[in-house]
Amino acid sequence: MAHLNIVLAGAAGQGVQSAAQILGKTLQRLGYHVYTTQDYQSRVRGGHNFMRIRFSDRPLLAAVKPIDYLLALNEESLDIHLPLLTADGLALCMDEDRGDTVDARLRALSEDIGPTAAKGAKFVGVKLLSMLMTAIGFSPEVLKESVKSQFGKRLKPEVLQANLDAIEAVARSMNAADIHSLPFAPAQTDEHLFVTGNECIAMGMIAAGVGVYAGYPMTPSTSILNFLAGAGPRAGIAVEQVEDEIAALNLAVGAAYAGARAAAGSSGAGMCLMSEAIGLAGITETPVVIVDAQRSGPAVGMATRTEQSDLLFMCHASQGEFARAVLAPALHEDGFYLAAEAFNLADRWQTPVILMDDMAYADAIRTVDEFDPTQVTIDRGAIAPEPNDVTVLRRFEPTESGVSPRAFPVLSKWLVAVDSHEHDEVGHLTDNIENRNRQHAKRLRKLAGLVAEMPGPEIVGDADGTLLLCWGSTAGPLLEGAQRLRDKGHKVGVAIFRYLYPMNVEKIAAALSPAKRLLTVEGNELGQLGRLLRMETGIAVHGHIAKTDGRIFTVDDIVELIEPRLGGER
Amino acid sequence: MKSPNDYDHFAPEWCPGCGNFDILVALKQALYDLKIESNELILVTGIGQASKIGFTIKCNLFDGLHGRALPAALGIRLANHTAKVVSISGDGCFFAEGGNHFIHTMRRNADITVLAGVNRVFGLTKGQAAPTSAHDYKTKIHLDGTGAEPLNVCRLALVAGATFIARGFSGEQTQLTELIKQALTHRGAAVIDIKSPCVSFNKINTYAWFKQRVQPLGEDHDVTDWNAAMRAAEETEERIPTGVIYRVERPVFGDHLRALQDGPIARRTTDFTPERVRPFFAQFK
Repeated sequence: MAHLNIVLAGAAGQGVQSAAQILGKTLQRLGYHVYTTQDYQSRVRGGHNFMRIRFSDRPLLAAVKPIDYLLALNEESLDIHLPLLTADGLALCMDEDRGDTVDARLRALSEDIGPTAAKGAKFVGVKLLSMLMTAIGFSPEVLKESVKSQFGKRLKPEVLQANLDAIEAVARSMNAADIHSLPFAPAQTDEHLFVTGNECIAMGMIAAGVGVYAGYPMTPSTSILNFLAGAGPRAGIAVEQVEDEIAALNLAVGAAYAGARAAAGSSGAGMCLMSEAIGLAGITETPVVIVDAQRSGPAVGMATRTEQSDLLFMCHASQGEFARAVLAPALHEDGFYLAAEAFNLADRWQTPVILMDDMAYADAIRTVDEFDPTQVTIDRGAIAPEPNDVTVLRRFEPTESGVSPRAFPVLSKWLVAVDSHEHDEVGHLTDNIENRNRQHAKRLRKLAGLVAEMPGPEIVGDADGTLLLCWGSTAGPLLEGAQRLRDKGHKVGVAIFRYLYPMNVEKIAAALSPAKRLLTVEGNELGQLGRLLRMETGIAVHGHIAKTDGRIFTVDDIVELIEPRLGGER
Repeated sequence: MKSPNDYDHFAPEWCPGCGNFDILVALKQALYDLKIESNELILVTGIGQASKIGFTIKCNLFDGLHGRALPAALGIRLANHTAKVVSISGDGCFFAEGGNHFIHTMRRNADITVLAGVNRVFGLTKGQAAPTSAHDYKTKIHLDGTGAEPLNVCRLALVAGATFIARGFSGEQTQLTELIKQALTHRGAAVIDIKSPCVSFNKINTYAWFKQRVQPLGEDHDVTDWNAAMRAAEETEERIPTGVIYRVERPVFGDHLRALQDGPIARRTTDFTPERVRPFFAQFK
């Protein structure tokens, strides 16, 4: 696929993110499809951070390794990333950062170019961006307009002017031999949104009518807390940063009982603290949505690194038996629509619904088609009709589906009692044998209804060759990687599981049965999707491809890891 | 309601002589006197004998996890800040398992009435030490005493930021009813440390033990003076001052949230159509 891959690298605090933000937004506004990933450490200053900005005239689903342009904000960045620079690529840096690097592809900019007001570390990013934009054939006006629109209001007028003058001077200083026009034109499409995975989820929650959200800051879930908190005053969402994740989910369950659409979010360690309250939502039959933005574990693990190792945990967290659903968006768009659907499933089945993403998905910024709120429906499930007088609600009346109509306390004349103990039809605790059997069976009947609603995996590419089974962020690189493998003559398809639990045996068997070989590709060592599949459906996969170093799957990783496993069948 | 007994729901199942019977009577009387209707009230309870008061009153009930009543109560208040929310539980629930939530609920000054039944022992699990048990209190687990200072409920509430703090005794029915009424009408986090003997498991802090020590605060006690409140709160062993210890006005949690200004979120949920997300797209273009 025709694309360019740019890497911006430097230490924390050097402005890698701001420069990448300007570049990504500029390319988006020019009409390109953009896919950006961030690789950073859990520190405020120093270390090594980099961002990949890949763009094309066609939609992009993942990052790639070979670098066409490297923008190095310090000397270390040259050492780290030069090995991945393509033969006809260019490395751009300031003269003082070149060290003793000798490379024909290196272009070092003298500090003397540009106005004296634009000397120093704060201007390195914009100067390197000007070199890049000139090298790929844009006039300096493009970058100047972008800086003005994105930073014009935040910068002092004289600082803004120094930036604009520096862009102009650097552009003029570029050697004509280094200037090329892009091999592809901007896409002729409607306006795109340039969003992270977590922003997609947060906006889906807003579309679904979320009213209360609670969390405690933890990478990579914090951006959902941030987004909903920012949207709260305008959209009418009460967002609370609670004392711990135990409070977060208990708060959300309380809010849902009182009638709001409510959610709590965290990462794996926070999920450990939420586990007891997942069971509380189960036995009180309270609809609640829980977001698990996974990162490397166990325990604190690697704070800013990705992993997909919470799957079996999320399917089983909390003791006892109760119905739940576990969903995972694969592509950015899914985050919006699946988050909205999660609330409907929760309300319809009066049960916790867990929405899982992972850091690779949460932080990746991608251009997507504008979401369509008209495709979102709101289904609050069974609600008891209002009584004439104040009356105790038979909140847990056994029904065929297992779902009993609920009501919102104080907003209605129903008196609504729910209990964390086993309870009878009116929510009163009891350990009576017949009641236990009746209520336990009622709650678990919901599982059958949920199973019937669960779609099977989406199959993309060849269904009758080697099928690569995935969920979450692995889907993007697999879709591009499988295409590359097909271009090489391999018979390869991808099965994307968005609805992970409970599993619908018939639909999954029908989708997987044409395949000759099933391989799971996941960010975990144990092949958790394969294990879940075997447990839930009896279907056994033939192998597992793992990546647990905390770094994202690139398209190149996928091809390198999978090609040797294809065993020469062409 | 024609009488306090109209709130009766399930029959209580405590040991004869349990202090919880007296707390229940006082609470029903206070609800009746204040004309709080069953469907206006949400009781939020946890685990323990004191929290079982929740089953005995006909109203809305959220009987949550051990120690987690207060975050659930806060969630209820965020979803519907017009609901009258009362949380009832005991020493273990509020101060052992739920200590962190207690601190932060007080700090927020959430509009929740907290009725803490403090019997200085674990009744439901048969006689272990509570966070409020004395240093030398011996149990099957603490053969040599707890080795820890008893937690002082009123001082903790004061330090954490509660705006109404009182101490009562289940054996002083009239005073307790009055204190509950004041707590229910206070706007903000209101805590009552209710001394309530466990007749089965605490053979030291008995009715007689409490009865000899409780003593109403003098009329000269200034409930707005934090230092005076700390001094009144301090005494729990030789003499136990009862009555309102502290009462001030401070903004209530939720007053600061613009999201709550157009009415209860739970009521507005039907107005939250999917179109409400559209204005957020512009920032990503």
